[in-house]
Amino acid sequence: MAILINKDSRIVIQGITGREATMITKHTLDYGTRVLAGVTPGKKGQDVHGVPVYNTVREAVEEHQVNTSLIVVPPAFALDAVLEAVDNGIQVVVVTTENIPQLDILKMLHAARQNGVRIIGPNTVGMINPGDRIKLGSIGGDNPERCFVPGHVGVISRSGGMTAETSWMVKRAGFGVSTSVGIGGDGLIGSSIRDLLELFEQDPNTHAVVTFSEPGTMFEEQAADFLREGGFTKPLISYIAGRFTENMPEGTVFGHAGAMIAGDVGRPSVKARKLREAGAIVVDRYDDMIDVLRSVLSEKAVK
Amino acid sequence: MGRILEHHSKQLIRQAGVRTPENWIAETAEQAEDIVRRYGKSVVLKALVPVGKRGKAGAIKFANTPEEAKLQTESLLAMTVRHFPVDKVLVEEKVDISEEWYVSITIDKNRQMPVILATTEGGVEVEDLVREHPDRIVIQHIDPLMGLSGFKAKEIWSRLGLNGKHLLLASDVLSKLYAAFLKNDCYLLEINPLVLTKQGDVVAAASVMAVDDAAMYRQKELEGMVEVGSERVWRPLTDLEKRMIAVNDADYRGTARYTEMDGGDIGFMCGGGGGSLLSFDALLDLGGRPANYTETGGNPPEEKVYGLTKGILSKPGVKGLFVAHNITNNTQIDVMANGIVRALKELAIDPRSFPVVVREAGVNDAVGRDIFMDAGVEYYGEDVTICEAALIMMNKMRAAYPDLYTTN
Repeated sequence: MAILINKDSRIVIQGITGREATMITKHTLDYGTRVLAGVTPGKKGQDVHGVPVYNTVREAVEEHQVNTSLIVVPPAFALDAVLEAVDNGIQVVVVTTENIPQLDILKMLHAARQNGVRIIGPNTVGMINPGDRIKLGSIGGDNPERCFVPGHVGVISRSGGMTAETSWMVKRAGFGVSTSVGIGGDGLIGSSIRDLLELFEQDPNTHAVVTFSEPGTMFEEQAADFLREGGFTKPLISYIAGRFTENMPEGTVFGHAGAMIAGDVGRPSVKARKLREAGAIVVDRYDDMIDVLRSVLSEKAVK
Repeated sequence: MGRILEHHSKQLIRQAGVRTPENWIAETAEQAEDIVRRYGKSVVLKALVPVGKRGKAGAIKFANTPEEAKLQTESLLAMTVRHFPVDKVLVEEKVDISEEWYVSITIDKNRQMPVILATTEGGVEVEDLVREHPDRIVIQHIDPLMGLSGFKAKEIWSRLGLNGKHLLLASDVLSKLYAAFLKNDCYLLEINPLVLTKQGDVVAAASVMAVDDAAMYRQKELEGMVEVGSERVWRPLTDLEKRMIAVNDADYRGTARYTEMDGGDIGFMCGGGGGSLLSFDALLDLGGRPANYTETGGNPPEEKVYGLTKGILSKPGVKGLFVAHNITNNTQIDVMANGIVRALKELAIDPRSFPVVVREAGVNDAVGRDIFMDAGVEYYGEDVTICEAALIMMNKMRAAYPDLYTTN
């Protein structure tokens, strides 16, 4: 078990013939993930590393009953690509595209919500379930094993790179991951930390969750509320990067576009306090998560 | 997010059909004097800077005569408003105010919808009004797919007590402002005050606009209006920062962002978005003083890495270089290594005396390791964590500069 993606996922890649998408397709197939179809308008009949290409998602659904889409298209086409996936009954959509105009993001998230479609991203590295060797996105690159080994820790990260690093920390601690998800660095995203905690709570294969957070947004505060309400009952270990930004003039942005502090909203210290008060283990030093993981998981006597 | 100066924002909302005061730009006191002489009426003078709350900062003045305009403009041009030196002044028609209202349109990130704030109490601190008199303000979320319907605009103002001709006028203006917000891919459009004049017109007397720089590819007409890079800094860009923007813009592959810190002695080149935050925290926790915040990632080409490294090392006072990335998904470490080593060699920096610590793991890292080690650079891969690499860097700084870093 894992969340969102597993052996039953029927995957289509929208924009599959692009330079980036072709490379991702290769890495994904090499990892063992089955990709049933690709879509690039005007390129029907071609194939990318053996994956058949169609003009429309509709054709990919008709031929292969795809239900999960990875979107790797330029910003100008991202909104239409998501609307096409939603319109064709795709249930899980991973949007890798960075720098999508926010008015387009609002529209795609709204359309998805109205249709019960789950969006990961945009601006995400993707997600991986190493137990089933299923990955969606550039996550893990050409060497997913370096960081992602099968296990029982869920990873949620605002940063794509830190999805890998944090999963590697889990590995260094002697454990593995059930599912690692990069939720995206923008302020507007489809699935928040809270949303994924809800799924990890339901997953018997996940025994603890580690989150990597950054300044900006209310995602951690929402997660804290969810914990306090009893929505998530497993151990939650959190690290919040960028404490130094609190001492910079207001409005300064380092790192991701979503990492902006305004007033008290977005302050790492506030996020840390709220998570702690709700029962999460917040580590001040990133490396401390190794020891914390060891003690938390040995208490549970599971690996 | 990029700020747009007030005269440009007014131009854009005028194009959407909203009345604004007549205005002119003065770069010298004499120009302001001339403008007022020709115009022949009282004016408002505003420092043209990309920051808000200018009234509070004393950067808005009034003049009834050309001579007064000259004096007031002189004092404005001598000011620095929140780190921004004033080099232009907006000279504006003074409208006859009957009532002051307020409208802002922005994005509610939690609800993930555009949101309109409106009140008939303009010229106020809206944050205070929301807190103290929530009944006097309407907060209306807008369905991003449906947009703002005409009836919804009327509901907003009617709830605030407008009626008759004023209701229709205000609703029409709100619809036009919302259209301008969408058309220009705004993050923020604030009109404070939106003025009902004694003649019965509705005029946007002051406006603040910030646009989404991710949308610039479809906003060609905004070129030259957006303060590039203004979303990331609290002061005007330095020359080095502008040069680094050019380095980044020269190639679309990879990101390169450079922000200068006050003082500091460690050149900082880390990434990506999250890894750089972690690395910066780690150095500070150990007593380090980064001289800049340089973020690069997403598989930049060698030329970009080289240009960035040179920029980092050319800041006066830089006495070491810390390069750290999280284990990457797709960044080629050999390309990074070539760019960094080329910059070090060109600047004749010897890593045996000038502390350089690299922590990189990712695509082609075995090749990258050789390139770094051949150049005498201390390299670490996934054998150490980012925090451990930061400690190694600090130990090297302490050893190389015992007078700068007292050991503890």
